[in-house]
Amino acid sequence: MTVVNRPWLAAYSTDISPELPAPEHASLAHLIDQTCTTHAQRRAFTCVVPNGMNGTLTYRQVGEMSDDFASFLRHHCNLEPGARVAVQLPNGLAYPVAAFGVFKAGCVLVNTNPLYTPSEMVHQFKDSGAEVLVISDMFADKLEEVIAHTGIRHVVLAGVPEFFPRIPETIVRGVQKFWSRTLPPVPALAVPVLRLREALRIGRGAEKVGDWDSLLRDDLALLQYTGGTTGVAKGAMLTHGNILANLAQVKIMGGRHMSGADCVLTALPLYHIFAFTANLMTFFDLGARNILVPSPRPVQNIQRALENYPVTWITGVNTLFNGLMNEEWFAAYPPKTLKAAIAGGTALHQAVAERWQAVTGTRVAEGYGLTETAPLVSFNPLDQPVRAGSIGVPVPGTDVVLVDDAAEPVAQGKPGELLVKGPQVMRGYWNRPDDTAKTLQNGWLFTGDVAVMDEDGFLTIVDRKKDLVLVSGFNVYPNEIEDCLSKLDAVLEAAVIGVPDTSTGEAVRAYVVQNPDVPDTLSKEAVIAHCRKYLAAYKVPRSVVVRDELPKSPIGKILRKNLKAEARAEAAGKV
Amino acid sequence: MLTELETTLLGVMMMVIMLGMGASMTPRDFLIAFRKPKGILVGLLSQFAVMPFLGFLLAVALGLPPALVVGLLLIACMPGGTTSNIFAYFSKGVLALSIMMTTVSTLAAVLMVPVLLSFYGGLAGVSGDYAIPASNVAQILVVLLVPTALGMVLRKLNPNVGATVELIGSFMGVAVIVFLIATWVPRNYLLLLETPAHVYAATSSIGLIGMLFGYWVARGLGQDTSRSRTISLETGIQNGPLAVLVITLSFSAAMQQEVLLIPILYSLFIVLSSTVITLWYRRNATREALARDAAKLGTAP
Repeated sequence: MTVVNRPWLAAYSTDISPELPAPEHASLAHLIDQTCTTHAQRRAFTCVVPNGMNGTLTYRQVGEMSDDFASFLRHHCNLEPGARVAVQLPNGLAYPVAAFGVFKAGCVLVNTNPLYTPSEMVHQFKDSGAEVLVISDMFADKLEEVIAHTGIRHVVLAGVPEFFPRIPETIVRGVQKFWSRTLPPVPALAVPVLRLREALRIGRGAEKVGDWDSLLRDDLALLQYTGGTTGVAKGAMLTHGNILANLAQVKIMGGRHMSGADCVLTALPLYHIFAFTANLMTFFDLGARNILVPSPRPVQNIQRALENYPVTWITGVNTLFNGLMNEEWFAAYPPKTLKAAIAGGTALHQAVAERWQAVTGTRVAEGYGLTETAPLVSFNPLDQPVRAGSIGVPVPGTDVVLVDDAAEPVAQGKPGELLVKGPQVMRGYWNRPDDTAKTLQNGWLFTGDVAVMDEDGFLTIVDRKKDLVLVSGFNVYPNEIEDCLSKLDAVLEAAVIGVPDTSTGEAVRAYVVQNPDVPDTLSKEAVIAHCRKYLAAYKVPRSVVVRDELPKSPIGKILRKNLKAEARAEAAGKV
Repeated sequence: MLTELETTLLGVMMMVIMLGMGASMTPRDFLIAFRKPKGILVGLLSQFAVMPFLGFLLAVALGLPPALVVGLLLIACMPGGTTSNIFAYFSKGVLALSIMMTTVSTLAAVLMVPVLLSFYGGLAGVSGDYAIPASNVAQILVVLLVPTALGMVLRKLNPNVGATVELIGSFMGVAVIVFLIATWVPRNYLLLLETPAHVYAATSSIGLIGMLFGYWVARGLGQDTSRSRTISLETGIQNGPLAVLVITLSFSAAMQQEVLLIPILYSLFIVLSSTVITLWYRRNATREALARDAAKLGTAP
């Protein structure tokens, strides 16, 4: 595993350097501070709610406010550098202010999903040792059950319309409070609770934190929780250096197609590593504008954001692209300013990619990454023709190798588990040496994904190792079946899992959702007949379940594990 | 009658309402709506075919005097009121369809109201001083289209201002009805006491009958239950304040009093009846949603 070929270097166009240049910045705090000075007058973030009301922060404002928040953390909350601060916010103007303030304070950001249940929150806050929590006021009612069981000493509340102009802010809050009733009263807690504006005012009165020069690239920046698929969530330790390296990698792959003149639509949640690095950090670093959408569900919520701003880039997952194209307003009037879309998070179905190209006239460049790699590992070079289904080539400075179960490299063209080495690979899992040792060996990260590499170095993900279905000893990869199913017009979405079977060990089961555009066309028979046409017999689903919807993660990944759990429960019930 | 100040105030309020209506959407919403225009066309049909005919039938059947016939016909021929959007929202209807129907019917009203009014007016034998000149109606509507267009431009230029204006417009839609009732009723309570029961029956039932017909016309033309409920509310809820404005600008002080009776009573009753119908529709919508959920789980509701 020490000798690594890099057949993909030939695929780099002339403006992609194979080696990663040394990072310009010592830390994220340094980068943020400099960027806010360089682009002071530009608009950095605009948050758009579904009715089109919006608020904007310039680079200068983001710089000043995050300075204030850093002072608040260090001087009012008395945090030491390295202390953990949990941020549990939907996309909005409060997010960058809080997150950047944490970095400037030299503290560690613990990104937390706002939709977590109290028990999930308790686990994450205890595990990370978070001392301060910045949470959306929409979820303040959960605090009562949470705070006493954690080490949190200060709570800061922020709203969706935070930093909007006064009248729109009042209206949005009024609507939340009296109309949609999504603003619960704040419970009485044993720890102090402040609004974000108040925290900033306190910070402004205190001494400015300026000691980030002492922050090093190896210092921890982010605890990014992952691995909810098996067991409990663990915190991937990402350093300032990891993120800075990945930013540089994204920017090199974006090349001349990305600049400060860009405007990126951020509909994916920023607490997820994909949007955190690709949208928030990369486009901020460029001096570009981020359009933040607090919630992309229903997809209609994105309409005003896309209509009112000259969006040039969209990041998304398969379900988001699919959802957008099923909206008439999008399909009829796709944004004219769009340059390309970046897909990640989960496999992009070919049918979706092709339709996107047809509808918008722009390509979807698929990338691949993991929480553990901050996240980008590979990306499709933008100046090359689309390679159907490929996740592209490793980004500069990254090595990959595909190995078999004995951790030996497989022959070129054969499937193997993808191993990654590079400056973006995490330091390990927080307080979990055993999990770290299993995942990180000699600097190689075991991704758990099975991939193949063609002779040009382009990678294609076959599937998750653990999702593989073993039918009479044959490997069946659910992705392949799902991709085939999504080509059937009657199918809106599909998920495939293996279920126990007495004769074949495991059998393929497909879950499909009827496409509302062609009602009443979906039947088990039609699905099986379609699969018979394109797939070998052992890959054809044995059973087909028609559903109204499929379980999804917050960023829209279809959760096969939930379907598997259901199938297990169902099997147990039968016995 | 309304004083000059009150008439001016009414005009200003209508301007604000129309500004808000314009600000509730963008030109693109229009283009998108007309790609699949069936719902809107069905709505227009029930708005300008069903309602005026119902108004005419009621007027004839009840043998109303000319002043009241004019008031009833005018109400029946009016485009959709902006308050219908609020009711559509609360009844869990299709808000976009409601907004679009209100706007499209208001635009179409410039032509349709004068034509329908002279047609049914002639048929009902309204003549002389009681006939509202077609040009008057058209002029008022055209003037009101200016703030509508301005609202759309505002929305486009500054979404924050647009959405705020939209909200103010919605509140104004309710405020104007309160204003009309508060200014007219105290001065005319004697008239109200003398008003025969069948006038009350006519003003309270025309909206309800319109909603009933609106619903079944829409169902008959293949709209689903949710869209049909939206079209139903849209059909029954007319722009009462607009009718009042047309009357105050068309009739002399003495005649106004009489002619205003029906639009004012209608405006009062429609708020009450729409509230009841909205609650009922909301229950139906919730029940249907629950049935869909149950179907997902494979159990009967």
